[in-house]
Amino acid sequence: MLGLCIAVLTVVVLGAVCFAVPPAEGLGELVRIAFLHIPAAWVSVIAFFMSAWWAASYLRKGEIRDDARSFSSARLGFIFTLLAAVSGAVFSKLTWGAYWNWDPRQTTILVLLLIYGAYLTLRSAMEEHARRARVSAVYSLFSFLTVPFLVFIVPRLYFSLHPTPVLNGSGSVDMEPVMLLTLFAAVADATLIYVWLLLKSSRKEEKI
Amino acid sequence: MRPSTFQSIKLVLRKEITTGLRFRAAWAAMLMFSFTSLVCISFALAGTAAEPKLLAALLWVLLFFSSLAGSDRVFSDEEADGTLMALRVYAPSQAVLFGKLLYEFFVLTVITVFLLPLFIVLLGAETKEMLLLLCTVGAGLWGISAAGTLLSALIVGAGVRSGLFSVLMLPVILPVFIPAIRLTEAAFGGTVVSLNFLGGILLYDMILSVGASILFDYIWYAE
Repeated sequence: MLGLCIAVLTVVVLGAVCFAVPPAEGLGELVRIAFLHIPAAWVSVIAFFMSAWWAASYLRKGEIRDDARSFSSARLGFIFTLLAAVSGAVFSKLTWGAYWNWDPRQTTILVLLLIYGAYLTLRSAMEEHARRARVSAVYSLFSFLTVPFLVFIVPRLYFSLHPTPVLNGSGSVDMEPVMLLTLFAAVADATLIYVWLLLKSSRKEEKI
Repeated sequence: MRPSTFQSIKLVLRKEITTGLRFRAAWAAMLMFSFTSLVCISFALAGTAAEPKLLAALLWVLLFFSSLAGSDRVFSDEEADGTLMALRVYAPSQAVLFGKLLYEFFVLTVITVFLLPLFIVLLGAETKEMLLLLCTVGAGLWGISAAGTLLSALIVGAGVRSGLFSVLMLPVILPVFIPAIRLTEAAFGGTVVSLNFLGGILLYDMILSVGASILFDYIWYAE
């Protein structure tokens, strides 16, 4: 049932992105990339938080289900982070003339990619199940300590060309209603895809 | 009578220094690794005057890779010698962590004392703010030691160890690395930078140390 809802929502979002969303001022047709990029970036951050949450839960209770969820969330987070990084780089090349500019948000997504990559590498290097779960949970939480740096320090270190967020500094929404609605639908769709894949993947992991 | 945690840390540190000094070949390898890397960079630049920004980045890359040459063995040597269980029985977990962390800091300090003057001489780095450079290096090394000690405990029992430590280390240590490069650049006469960055590194060092302290028990008492 969830799969069917996601399929319908995905078709609606794709239709809206291709046919309903008007070209944006200054960005033209390139604005359509944002409807893939923003939801992917959103899910990559959510997946990181959830992976750390379930890692903490595993260390507290020792239930294998929490380890399976933490791992599945990290694996999906890695894929969504890759999507966000690639779509961001393409957008960057087409608008700013270079794939990589060390923009604060690009830096954040790169650090996230490194953390996910390191976590998955560590897991693959551990053969014994219980130790693998424990060690991965510890690394997941230890790498979570970088969050204050990514949120507070990185934006002060690098100059940003990144477009302002949907909700800008003055608290107002600077976007056409149809774009905003499509963006919310795309974010909801990506989040549901993440939840659906997470449930499927973690059930499979629990059985292994 | 059981010794206090502080006394236990001192005992673990003394044990680390005693066993560490016995393996002169390991010290020679670490120092030669950092020297060889430095000479490589010096050859590549071939006397070209490097900008403070480049010099700062090169110094931290050197320190990072030099630290990797020794840090990954903090616990795996114990595992190879079969002394992990004895340490687990006779010493409290926090004493093991902080004793090894202090030893790691000591090793990195020795490497830096060896490397930094050679770096300044071979690459012609003119140091305008020596105190800032020393404070930055000290703060950076503490962060590397804290992260390195916990991560070294994590990779005990890993099937593949080669390269794994650096893969795990880099994302965690980036919050130390990036501001440290900015501060080092300022110390080499580059752009003026806020001292808040140094405060930021020290704060992150504390976060890493506390985080390592909390998480270490989950690894140490796992078996």
